[in-house]
Amino acid sequence: METLRKIQLLLVMLTIAACKKPTENIKIVIDTDVIKYTALINVTDGQNGSAAPAGTTIAITGAAANDIYELSGKKDIKLSSGIVTIGLKPTVAPAVNEPITINAEINAPGYNKETRQVTFRTETKQQVVNIQLTRTGSTAPPIVTPPPPVFNNVSLTFTGRCPNRTDIEVRPSVYVYFKKSGSNAAFQYLGYMDKGNISTNLLQQGETYDFQIVYGAETYKVSQRIDQTSYNLTLDMPAACNF
Amino acid sequence: MYFPRSILLLFLLLLYYNVNAQNGNQPPSLLDQKSVLLNVGTQGVGAEFAYGVLPELALRGGLNFIPFKAHNVFKISGFNSTSNLSANFYNVHALADYTPIKTASWFRLVGGFAYFFKAKGDIRVIPSDDYKYGDLVLTEDQIGYVDLKVNWKGLAPYLGLAFAHIFPRNKFNVNFDLGTYYLSKPKADIIGTGLLEGNSSQTPQFQSNIKDYRWLPIVQVNFSYRL
Repeated sequence: METLRKIQLLLVMLTIAACKKPTENIKIVIDTDVIKYTALINVTDGQNGSAAPAGTTIAITGAAANDIYELSGKKDIKLSSGIVTIGLKPTVAPAVNEPITINAEINAPGYNKETRQVTFRTETKQQVVNIQLTRTGSTAPPIVTPPPPVFNNVSLTFTGRCPNRTDIEVRPSVYVYFKKSGSNAAFQYLGYMDKGNISTNLLQQGETYDFQIVYGAETYKVSQRIDQTSYNLTLDMPAACNF
Repeated sequence: MYFPRSILLLFLLLLYYNVNAQNGNQPPSLLDQKSVLLNVGTQGVGAEFAYGVLPELALRGGLNFIPFKAHNVFKISGFNSTSNLSANFYNVHALADYTPIKTASWFRLVGGFAYFFKAKGDIRVIPSDDYKYGDLVLTEDQIGYVDLKVNWKGLAPYLGLAFAHIFPRNKFNVNFDLGTYYLSKPKADIIGTGLLEGNSSQTPQFQSNIKDYRWLPIVQVNFSYRL
């Protein structure tokens, strides 16, 4: 019967004569939005606005700490370039009148300890929590970074590439930072990229920008000069390829 | 390999029987002869009515259908998955059988058209591994599945050969069709769910890959009853 079945299949459908394999050059596209309720923790040096110094650590405490994972699904939560995205595991979600709260404790050598409460609510699936560190003994107030200027809308589509799996593409859902290429300024928050897509009015035509995302405790960057209203950008994202 | 050999042997025996059953007689005129045919083959099962409109020409009209299901016949390289395939081809058709050689009236040229009011193949690919996302183990619903759909609905011309008489000398015979439909240009679609939702972006590539999948070969056995 197996042979009969194969022959039947062969003749009926798959031998509808043709040359190309139906799956030729078809990639498997995988989304990363497993964790739906997320919070970006951005830790900077309050004196100059640069990313948190090396050795800065983050600890999650509180009753719901066990439900918190890094955006890539790892339980181990680390900062990279002062940034980490945390979120509730997929089986846990806040209820309408029952938000879920945790504490993020930041420690850095030579800086005061900072603790910030992070609350996940039904109506807010993404949020940014900025934490400015102050040097131990310093009384200087933290700097205030002015909001970036506004320009016309530009659409960016990011595709994550797996260096060792050319048949897989990743559509990242992640927070994006940016700065002008060659600038010494700190990266600024651009917005949340949903399934690889982000639309922003913070990019100036004719300028070249570095874009940065942090995923799985790795920092990935790509540059693009902006001359049009939409771009497709590709990032190598090996941390998203561990299937 | 035994199955195709036995089919071929059966085909030759039946052909020999049919040809010899009517040898030594005057080539029969097809005019005004009628028969009903039940068939089975690569376009499934079906029924036809045949009528001789000229001494060398008969017309056939009928319908065929094939609902088909199979499991795990489709693999994507490097992606452990199970697959469920279903194919549904339903057609109504009108064919003309022409006997080009009077002394070999068992041999016919066949041409015509079919309208495939259903002609589609669907494959659902479901990841079969326990997928881990970091330290999280994902459920099947979270991972999702990918549907690959192809639709050939529409008009399709047919060209082929037929062996043994369409109108039995006595009441009953077995005859054969060998030919092909040229299906309409297929419309392809990929739909993903869960974490595989983004695979719909692969539809243009899939469409390009299967655009030449238009030949539907027909190998068919007809059981003919003369009215």
